[in-house]
Amino acid sequence: MINCADFMAEIGNYLEGDVAAEVRAQIESHLAHCQTCQIVYDSARKTVKVLTDCGSFDLPEAASKPIAANVMARIRAQGRNS
Amino acid sequence: MGFLREVELGVSFAPFSAFREHFGFVPSLFRCQSLLPRLVEAETALLASTLFKDRSLSRLQKERLLLVLAAANRNVYCGTAHYQMLCLLGEPEEQLDQLVSDYRHADLPAADVALLQFALKLNADGPTISRKDVTEVNSHGWTDGAVQEVVLICAWAKFSSCLSTGVGASPDFEAVPLPAAVPFDPPAGFESDADREGPYIGAPDLKADTFEPFAFLRERFGFIPNVLRAQSLRPDVIEAEVEAIRVLLLTDDHLTPLQKERILLVVSAANRNTYFVAVHSEILRTLGISPDDADKIAVEHRQAGLGAADTALLDFTLKLVQEPLEFGSEDFVPLRRHGFTDEQILEALVITSFANFLNTLQFGVGAKADFPPRHVFAPVSTKVANLSVAEPRLTEGSVTSDPDAEAVARVQGGEVDAFEDLINRHSRRVYRTLVGILGNPEEACDAMQDTFLKAFQHLGSFQGRSKFSTWLVSIASNTGLQLLRERKRVQSLDDDVDTDGGFRPQQIRAWSDDPEQSYSKTEVRSLVEDHVMKLPAKYRVVVMLRDIEQLSIEETAAALGLGIPALKSRHLRGRMMLREALTPHFAATATGGAA
Repeated sequence: MINCADFMAEIGNYLEGDVAAEVRAQIESHLAHCQTCQIVYDSARKTVKVLTDCGSFDLPEAASKPIAANVMARIRAQGRNS
Repeated sequence: MGFLREVELGVSFAPFSAFREHFGFVPSLFRCQSLLPRLVEAETALLASTLFKDRSLSRLQKERLLLVLAAANRNVYCGTAHYQMLCLLGEPEEQLDQLVSDYRHADLPAADVALLQFALKLNADGPTISRKDVTEVNSHGWTDGAVQEVVLICAWAKFSSCLSTGVGASPDFEAVPLPAAVPFDPPAGFESDADREGPYIGAPDLKADTFEPFAFLRERFGFIPNVLRAQSLRPDVIEAEVEAIRVLLLTDDHLTPLQKERILLVVSAANRNTYFVAVHSEILRTLGISPDDADKIAVEHRQAGLGAADTALLDFTLKLVQEPLEFGSEDFVPLRRHGFTDEQILEALVITSFANFLNTLQFGVGAKADFPPRHVFAPVSTKVANLSVAEPRLTEGSVTSDPDAEAVARVQGGEVDAFEDLINRHSRRVYRTLVGILGNPEEACDAMQDTFLKAFQHLGSFQGRSKFSTWLVSIASNTGLQLLRERKRVQSLDDDVDTDGGFRPQQIRAWSDDPEQSYSKTEVRSLVEDHVMKLPAKYRVVVMLRDIEQLSIEETAAALGLGIPALKSRHLRGRMMLREALTPHFAATATGGAA
């Protein structure tokens, strides 16, 4: 049987789906009767989903275009000077 | 103040007065060990024979090696110390910054670069060192004496890096921030048929009858370890090493001989050092531990039937060796709970560091086995557990298909315009890396230009051993870190103070079934942006690359120059901090929602 501390030690791997079948079974039986860990796990899982879905920190084309143009201009200028 | 209690040793304590005389101060690495002055004496003797005697290598060459190794190990304490030493030796700061960020562009003579590469390989991946590596160093005109000194320097770098982390030494000068490891293709990789039968360097025969340290070993252990015989070009070094063995391992004040040998065994196994696993299994046998039981301890000490206290001691030891960047005051809690005294903990720390020292020496000089090996740890290219968690190499293994390979080849072939495709494909990823590190969108945009220009300049040396995108992200990460240091000299990805070791969830409120539903997409995006920006940089950049940019664990680790365990632990911490921060917005009872 695993306890809450054991679960918290494994939550990172569990979120990544990276635990052995045996450990997974132990975690699941713990989650089935521990509401606190269940809430922590569920909200952590949803946090990951929000992060991966959000598309935050996107770089709009309007911002990236001039950067690319600037870099290419400097590279071409270097090519001409050398 | 470090992690352990300190005592006043008085002005007459010889090592400290020698430090005051030579440097004007006592390095905090040694002050933190004031509880056990005999250890400090043995260590300073070892340091003196390793560093202060000019033989084949000059002090300047040794300090350069130590600085580059400290940067590779991401050890701010050691990096700061050697940076300062090099300043005192007259090296210009620009040169030092270049050494720290990428030694290949520091205009060093080819022979010095060859030494550095050998040192970095030994530091990162000791089990892969073979005679071929030593021959390569020799081919640049370096004698066996020089090779031996580089090996010693590496061993000392391992020792001091491990111990400074373990005792919690704080930098003696304004901390020099270290960048993530430099992107470079590792020097000659591992070859399975390489010649690992040592010794790799000439070693005149020293007789136990006339050489006192060998006589001592023969009497105490019944044999003279080949790892010491292999160093007989330098009897003075052997003397210091044997003295350290006597003081650290054969003087039992605090930990028992059994506890010490177990530490040496698990550290050697973690470092995959076949030679020393055999040595310590043999010594444990003389202490009444059967070879089978020793094997269990070496392979998985938690299943070896040890008591809770001894298990905790080995957990502590392995954490320090395998995840030094994550090691902190919280790791002392279980030991103190089990009743270990500060003296015992200090002994454990020094012995752990000394095991790293000996393992590195053996890999470097290639000493032949003294006993039939218990476990042969074959060199592996993807490392499971060893010394290096922050090696300057990409760990993805072989890259089978890189979608950018064609464009890269075109640019390398002179088609400059093809570089624009590469910029367009990767600008968002580079931007996210830089925002992750710098925490500021405008600065990130400026740094993007530098990143792409650097990538273009160095594309000629890119050999496709990692994916282009990984290589590019690591350049971005180095560029970002360099800006951080210019902006604020004391900040680096490791300087953020850890709030505490484990995270304890504070917010226990169920989230709604579909948390994003009650907000518009733009609102979710800006909520996430606000809270990600509030994370400390070291967590922010990992969350940014792993969750938002969705790089693989391996790619993120390689790009940031972190080991997998360190990366995973930062990633989880970052995610859990965000969970706390987002709970008020997404809890089932939250009153948020579209306006």
